[in-house]
This record gives sequence, structure tokens and C-alpha cells, in this order.
Amino acid sequence: MEALFLTCIDNGFLEGIVRGYKSGILTQSQYANLTQCETLEDFRTQLSATDYGGFLANESLPLSTSTIQEKATQILVDQFNYLRGNAVEPLNKFLEYITYSYMIDNIILLITGTLHERDTHELLERCHPLGVFESMPALCVATTVEELYQSVLVETPLAPYFRDCLSANDLDDLNIEIIRSTVYKAYLEDFHSFCGTLGQPTQDVMQRTLAFEADRRTINITVNSFNTELSKEQRAKLFPTIGRLWPEGNNQLAKADDIDQVRAACETVSEYRTFFNDAGVSSSSAHGNGGIDDLAAASMLEDRFFRMEVFLNKQAFLQQFQYGVFFSYVKLKEQEIRNLTWIAECIAQDAKDRIQDFIPIF
Amino acid sequence: MSDDYPSLLRSERMSLVQLFVPTEVAHDTVHELGELGDVQFKDLNPSVNPFQRSFVGEIRRIDDMSRRTRFFDAQIEKEKDVVPVRPLYECAPLLTVGPRSAQTVDELDTTLSQYESKLTTLNESYQTLSERTRELTEARHVLRETAVFFDKAHTQTSNIRSSFDDSATPLLTSHDDREGGYSAGSFDLEFVAGTIERSRVPTFERVLWRVLRGNLYMNHTDIAEPFIDPSTNAETRKNVFIIFAHGDVVLAKIRKVAESMGATIFPIDANADKRADALREVENRLEDLQTVLYNTGIGRRAELVKIGESLRVWQDVVKKEKLIYETLNLFNYDVRRKTLIAEAWVPTRDLTKIQLALRHATEESGTSVPPILHELQTSKTPPTFHRTNKFTEGFQAIMDSYGISAYQEINPGLFAITTFPFLFAVMFGDIGHGFIILIAAVYMILREKAMAKQDNGEIIGQFFYGRYIILMMGLFSIYTGFLYNDLFSKTLHLFHSGWTFPDNSTRGVYTGHTYPFGLDPAWHGATNALVFTNSYKMKMSIVLGVIHMTFALCLQVPNHFRFKRKSDIYTNFIPQMLFLQSIFGYLVLCILYKWSVDWTKSPVSPPSLLNMLITMFLEPGKVDPEKQLYPGQGFVQTVLLGIAGVCVPWLLISKPYLAWREMHKTTGAGYVTLGNGEETAIARHSTDETLEGEEEGNGRAIAEGDEEHEGHDFGDVVIHQIIHTIEFCLGCISHTASYLRLWALSLAHAQLSEVLWSMTLDGRTDPKSIGGWIGLGIMGFMWLNLTIGILCLMEGLSAFLHALRLHWVEGNSKHFEGGGYPFAPLSFAGEGSKEA
Repeated sequence: MEALFLTCIDNGFLEGIVRGYKSGILTQSQYANLTQCETLEDFRTQLSATDYGGFLANESLPLSTSTIQEKATQILVDQFNYLRGNAVEPLNKFLEYITYSYMIDNIILLITGTLHERDTHELLERCHPLGVFESMPALCVATTVEELYQSVLVETPLAPYFRDCLSANDLDDLNIEIIRSTVYKAYLEDFHSFCGTLGQPTQDVMQRTLAFEADRRTINITVNSFNTELSKEQRAKLFPTIGRLWPEGNNQLAKADDIDQVRAACETVSEYRTFFNDAGVSSSSAHGNGGIDDLAAASMLEDRFFRMEVFLNKQAFLQQFQYGVFFSYVKLKEQEIRNLTWIAECIAQDAKDRIQDFIPIF
Repeated sequence: MSDDYPSLLRSERMSLVQLFVPTEVAHDTVHELGELGDVQFKDLNPSVNPFQRSFVGEIRRIDDMSRRTRFFDAQIEKEKDVVPVRPLYECAPLLTVGPRSAQTVDELDTTLSQYESKLTTLNESYQTLSERTRELTEARHVLRETAVFFDKAHTQTSNIRSSFDDSATPLLTSHDDREGGYSAGSFDLEFVAGTIERSRVPTFERVLWRVLRGNLYMNHTDIAEPFIDPSTNAETRKNVFIIFAHGDVVLAKIRKVAESMGATIFPIDANADKRADALREVENRLEDLQTVLYNTGIGRRAELVKIGESLRVWQDVVKKEKLIYETLNLFNYDVRRKTLIAEAWVPTRDLTKIQLALRHATEESGTSVPPILHELQTSKTPPTFHRTNKFTEGFQAIMDSYGISAYQEINPGLFAITTFPFLFAVMFGDIGHGFIILIAAVYMILREKAMAKQDNGEIIGQFFYGRYIILMMGLFSIYTGFLYNDLFSKTLHLFHSGWTFPDNSTRGVYTGHTYPFGLDPAWHGATNALVFTNSYKMKMSIVLGVIHMTFALCLQVPNHFRFKRKSDIYTNFIPQMLFLQSIFGYLVLCILYKWSVDWTKSPVSPPSLLNMLITMFLEPGKVDPEKQLYPGQGFVQTVLLGIAGVCVPWLLISKPYLAWREMHKTTGAGYVTLGNGEETAIARHSTDETLEGEEEGNGRAIAEGDEEHEGHDFGDVVIHQIIHTIEFCLGCISHTASYLRLWALSLAHAQLSEVLWSMTLDGRTDPKSIGGWIGLGIMGFMWLNLTIGILCLMEGLSAFLHALRLHWVEGNSKHFEGGGYPFAPLSFAGEGSKEA
């Protein structure tokens, strides 16, 4: 009880703020209205009736989808920075952990871009603003992992995560993917153990969410590594050592050769079983017929993962006095921005039949 | 009752009217009604999405126009030298009604877009030019600063060389070659020079240090003046850096890092002469560019000045047009008959005015089809509209912020005009302080016109809004100040005192005549002054409180009559009144009686009224003869207590009983309640809607679907009455005690002002030396500031707050029902001042 009041002193205000933000997340009926829009101008009018308000009011016509996405992300970033500016330890650290995943994404984006000799400034613009750090632009210079680590990453909080992948010699697409997975695995494990130090309600909620995140990565890595050069031993090394599939599910996945084996490995967890219900059927019936069905199955899987993520994040709001709400809010808002972009894209390209394929939140 | 002349006692009588407006006059009609500001339109398409309504296209166009005006506004604001913007009232109005209205708006639209594109091109060229200028300035800085580096390096190299010469000459064979190489001034180091943002310098240096594995020779200096981005006005400060390195790979790496960190690199020659040439060239080009830039700036400014001349009119028109189309979207659009059907609440009194306005609109628009207005019968509750003027506005606002009174309910705002300043003044009583706030109020009232026009800011604006409240508070404070005989904690000796103090005695002797008005000045400075004023003010607070509550309770009666609830008079009003009077009314009588008795001549000592009230409850009927106030007290108190005791069950039971009997009667007569369950209600709702669809043309009220369901359940009545009874009975006690705040604040105020006097001016008012005069000056200044700051402002605000509470809680709880909704007419006037 005492701890409860103490959290209230430190974080009660921010929790209130974030719950207020959360009630601004678009609802089913607002999505229904949005999907009826004929043009992006309608879309803007409709959004101005929500918490987004006049965020597009000063944009000159015609609107583009990327502007909408950019502005919506900017709102999230502003809110996040406000939270971060008002946070005290350990919430501050927690919020920082949230940004790490964006930093990883940015780093990978920059490395890949540099590898393919893209324009540096264009790359920098595409980086997620939550994951920007000071010395990030210098990443474009590095050509080897060693150099990358020595020149830039060593001073970022991500340095410990990269230590494990310094052995990778030259940068190519596969290696970058391996780096991403290794780093992300280290990040998830670190975040997981950090949440363990935060005491009961936070630990409970966050570890549930992170466990799912880890499982999702594990399954994705497995599915994506079929028919690639990635050896099974290497694959096993990329799996995070947390999550509900760990350890025996992970072991099975490490040996899996096709999607049916993946499904068998996931049988043990009842929630994951349903993910493969249709996907499994369609892929087994069309197994030898080519990669297209596999692709469809994978995208359907991805969709279900998103749905599950939204569900878990919504659950985080059911408990008070814990930090999970901050993480969940950011993730939900991110999903909302994805939804908005999807709907806007559908409107712009006049693909009305697919407009319903977003993932409703509330 | 109040149909002839607008009164504040009750809100205005309202009518629901239906308007049939032909499409071609719709715009002008709404414009006219907006100017009138007396009509509240109802939304007739609540289920329609905002972007599916009839006039969405127009609104979108207006939105774009308003975006353009905002753009101009932002541009004008950003301009460094102030661009004059002509205020709205000095501009020629742009006519947007009449047959040419559509054309005017079209023209405005094109004008706006023309100006926008002109301004954008100008901005763009200005920006590219200033970008070039910035680059050149940076280049100049780099050239200058690197020259310093090189000069330093030169002296160093020559030093090195000379020392090198001394020790190593014998060993060198190709001495001459070397000598030649050095004297040419090109030492073998290659370098990168450029500018970078100052905040990035440390990161830049760190990254480079790591990339070059510690082999870094970097120099950097600050550029003194900041660079200003013309489009955002943001300042950036930059540094010149120069990095010496050797080898192509390393140099390329440095360049890449520098570029990715947002630095600008300039090709600099190592040769001093070439550098000087480059500098000269850069300076020439910079000069040319600056002339061009200046001219562009002038052109841009001229354009902005032209925009500034009519910007306010455009904004006004755009705002009005937007409001008009938003209002038109509330109307029901009948496509077949080309008419718009509107429903609106209007004050019944103004119906003719509105008719006139409609006729005027028709004439303006130049068509012969007038809009048709007719009144509808409705069972819905109209909005509450109190017609206020500048004097009553503030007082009404005080009450409205507590709750909007129900339609045609007795309006407490009317009585607040006197009770509010009075209760305030009881707490604030001081002639001097009252005078200060009176002066402030009079000043604001005299400069009313000027101050209303300017923007007063949030705080001054608040005071200005309440200037008439302050005026009344000042007047009443002066009055109570005379009652307390208190002027900046000193007294006035207006009449002969009723007491004399013979031969330096501290004991006063009564002279036989009473001080005619207010407190006798002899009390001032007496040792028992505080005891006396405390007792006096405390009793006075109770008396005032009970009077105020009794009055508030009486305001129930006209409401009961108006809303045809006569039974409430004897189920609510009479028991409540009896309860209040038999306890606290009696207390007030006792206070007055005790005041009227000369206790020095009485055989018994004065009894404590508080104890009397307590024993009245604890030991009914028993009165200690030592503490008796008057003979027969025990009996009277028992009777009163009995009455109060009876009132509680009376209040509790009578109303539910009546409701139950009523219900019994209806069910007994064979009627059954309809639409009790949720489902039937929904079903009825939907049939209503379909019916309306059919009857639309017949002139029936269209949006009558959402009938107010007043299902008075018996259970609700019982619970409501229980709560009401408990609240009232407990409230009587706590509210009476609550009025003691009048005493507490008044006491605090008097004491505070006395302390302030004794801490600053006491004993200094008759200075003998220069030091004394200076002391008087300083202390007098302090005293005046603290008097205004603490005693008038802070104490005044606190007294205001408590007066507010006494009205909201103690007064309003006795009669006020609230639950109305305010009349919000379509009006251009309010909209204009809000954003301008």
C-alpha cells in the first residue's frame, strides 16, 4: 500500500496525463466515419472533430499521406517528450528504454541505407524522431561493424547490445538482419530484466507484453528464415531467451523447416494456437505451390500479431500504478498512426475494398 | 407578470419558431440574423456526419481562405519591422450580402490566392537569396578564421624549422630543397575547413576522434553573430572548424562525417594569396547579394503592407462566412422545393424584430420570396436567457457560473446585485479600503469605452469585467466601514462619544447619550475593544445569515407557483421554514433581546446564548434560573423544539405520500404506464422518426423525436426526498455556522490593518528631524503599497471568495434548481471580439 502511494507521488500526474491521452485514441465509430471519407480533405474534416483537432489546418492542399503520417507522429513525439520531461527515476529510465527500440530501428535503417548508397539526408529524414540521438548521423561513415561500434555506438546506451555481434565481418543485407535480431534480442532481454527490478504491478504487465514481443520475434525470424542461407544454429542464437515459448518452443522452432512445424511448436500456448488456424490450413493445402501463399499466410500472421499486441496493450490499462501504461500508450498510438496512414492511403489510391483492413483499437 | 418590460427576475419567455427559407435568400437571412444575434438555431441533422452535410463544399473553401489569412497574419507577425495592420473599425466594410454577395466572395478568394502565391514566390526567392548570403557569410568567416590558424601555424613551423636547422643541419643533404619547399608556404598537411552548428561541435569532435583513432588535430572558433533563418526566425550559432589530416581516405572520411553532421565544407586554398583573392571575391559577391536581398525584402514588405491594409476585413468576412455556412448546415435542406427549413429558439418579445430582420434580408438580396416564420407549439424546455446590461452582467455571471437557472425560474442573480456586495462589505468593512476600491472601479467605469476596445490581458480584463461589482462593493464597504467606525484601523470622531474617561482613568463612564451611528469611537484602543467587537460581529453574522437564508427560502414560493407545484408549498416550504425559524430564528430573537437589555442593572449575569442553544437540545424544558434569559423560557423552548422535531418527518414523508396517492389514483382508474421498458422507448423513438419523415412537409416540428422522458418513479421520489430532508436539516445547522465567516474575515481584516499600521506608521506621524521625515516617507510608501496589495487586493479577493460561497452554497441551496441550459444565439459580435 505504501509503495502504491509513493508511486502516486512520483508518477500519479503522468499516469493521469497518459490515461487522458489514451482516451483520445480513436474509437470504432470514429474509424467508421473515417472510412466513409471520399477524399483526404474529408479525412481532414473528420479528424478535426477528434483529439487530433486542427493538426492539419495549416497544411496547404492537396494533402499527402506522408504529411498526415508525419504530423500524427509529431503529436505522439510531442506527447512523449512531455511525459519524459516530467518523469523522475525510475520512470525516466523506463521511458528511455522505450526509445531504444526506435534507436535500433534507426541505426539499422541508416546502415542499410548507407550500404545501398542512399542519400544521407534523405535517410536521416526517414528516421523515427523518438529514436534520434546526437551522434546518429555519423553512422553513415562506418563500413564495418567494428568501425560502427568504435566510432559511434560505443557512447550510446545501446553499446552493450552490440557487443555480441561484433564478430560479423562485412556488412551485407543478411548480416544486417542478423545484427538487428541480435541487438533486438539483447534489448528485449535487458528491458525484461529492467522491468523485473520495478516491482510487482509493472513487472507483471510489462513482462507479459515483452514476452509476447519476444515470441513474435522468434516466430517471425523462424518463418522468414525458411529457404535462406541462415543456418539453424545461427537462427537459434537470434531467439530472445524470454517469452512464453522459451525454452522448449524455441528449441522446436530452431529446428523447424516449414510453417506446420512452427504451428506445432506454438501448440503449447493456447493464445498462439489460433494464429495458425487458417494460416496453417491454407499453407498446408497449397504447400508446394509456391511462395505466394506462404507470403499471404505470413502477412495474415503479421496481422494477427498486431491484433494480439493491441489486445495486450489495452489490457495494460486495466491496472493502475504501473508503468506499463506508458509503453502501451506509445504502442497503441503507433498502431493508430499506422491505421490512419492505411486509411489515408486507401482513400488516396481509391482502394475502398481494402480500407477496412486496419486494426481497430477501441 | 413581466411581459411588458424585460426583467431579471425570471428568464425571458422563449418561442420555438420554424423558418422556411428559400435557398437564394438563405445566406443573407442567416447573415442578418447573425448581425442581430438573437436566434439560437437547432441542429436538425444530428445524425449526419459533418462532411456529408449540404454546405460542406462552401465550408471547405472558406477554410482554405481562412488558412490563407492565417498565413498572412503569421507572415506579418514574423516581419521584423512592424507592419501596420489597419484595425477593423477603420476599414471600409466588404459587402457580402445582396445579389452580388457570391461574386464578392469569389473575388476575395481569388485575391487571397493571388496574394498567397505572390507572397510564396517572394518568400522563396528571399529564402534562396538569404541561403546564399548565409553560405557566403560562412565562407567569409571560414576564410578569415582559417587565415588566423594558418598564420599561427606559420609562425610555429618557422620556429620548428629554425630549431630543426640548428641541430640537424649537418645530417641533411638536400637542405636547399627543403628550404625551398617550406618557403613556398605550402606545408605538407591537408585539411578540411567549414562551419558547423555550435551545439554539435562536441559530438563532432568526439566522433572524429574515434574515427581517426585519436589522430585528430582540430581547431575551431566561434562566429560571433548568429545566423537567422528567414522562414522560422530561429537563431543558429555556428563555429568555424579546421581539421588537419593526412591521406585521401582519412580526408574523405572526415568530409563524410562532417556532411552527415550537418556541417558545410568550403574549399580553402593553403596559399595565403589565393585565400586573400577568394576572400575579396566572396566579399564582392556578398555585397551584390545583399543589395538584391534588400530589394527583395523591400518588395516583400510592400506586399505585406498592402495586405495589412485589408487583412482584418478579410478575416472578418471569412469568419462570418464560415459561421453562416456552419449554421446553414444545421438546417434541413429540401432539395425538391429548394427551401431550407430551420428551427430556432427566439425570445418571444423579439419576434417582431426578427420578422423585420427577415424582411430586410429579403430586400437586401433583391428577390421577392421572403422567408416565412411561424411559431411552433412545443413541450420542450427552452433555453434560459437573461437579458442583462453592463451593470447586471457581472452579477448574473456570478450566478451563471454556479449553474444556469431553469427556464423561467426565479433568478438569484437579481438579488445578488445587493446581497453580494453587502456580504462582501461585512467582511471588508473599512472606509479607507472601501474608498480605494471605489476609486479603482470609478476609474474603470470612466474609461470604459477606451478599455473595452483594448486588450486588457487576463487579469486586468477580469477586474474590468467586474467593474460594477467592484463599484458596489466599494460603496457598501464604505457604509460598513462607517458602521465599524474603521478608517485604515483608525476611528472617526464624528459625534460626541457616549463615554468619558474622567482623570486619566481607564474605566469609561457612560454619559447617558448613545452614539448615533456605528461603533462608538471610545471603544478604539480600549483594553476590552476586541472582546466587544468580537461578540458584536459574531452575533451580527448570525443575524445576517439567518435573514439571508430565510429570504432565500422564501424564493421557493414563486417557483412553486410558476411550475404548478402548489403541493410543494406545504410539503417543502412550510416545514423547512418552520424548522429554520424555530431553531435559528429563535436564536436571532434571543440575540436581539439580549442586546436590548441593560445587563449592568439586571440581577442575573448575561447568559451565554451558545450554551442556551445547546441545552435547548440536550435538556429540553430545563433552564437554570441563573442563566435564564426571560421567564417562561423553558416552555417556549420545548414547544419550538417540538415544532422542529415534527418538521423532520413531515418533510420526509408528506411528498412521497402525495406521489404515492397520485399513482394509486391513476392505476386505480385503470391506466397503465406506457413505455416503461427500454425496448418500448426505442421502438417509440424510431416510429416517431419515421412519422416525422412523413409529416415533414406539414409544418410540424421536425426534431421532436427526442421527447424528454420524465418518468417520475415512486422510488426516485422517495430517495430524492430523503436526501433533500437530510441535506436541509443538517444544512441549516452547518450553514448558520458557516455565516460566522463574516465575523472571522471581518475580524482578520481589522486586525491585519491595525498590525500594518502599528508596524509601519505608528509613532512616526509626527517627525521631528530630517531622519524622521525620511522614515515617514519610506514607511508611508510601504504602508500604502501593503495596504493596496495585501489589504485591498488579497483580502478583497478572499472576502469576494467567501461572499461567493455564501451565495452559491448557503443561499442557492435553499431554492435554486438550476438545470437550465444557456441561450446561445448565433452572433457575429461575440465571435469577432473573441479572436481578434
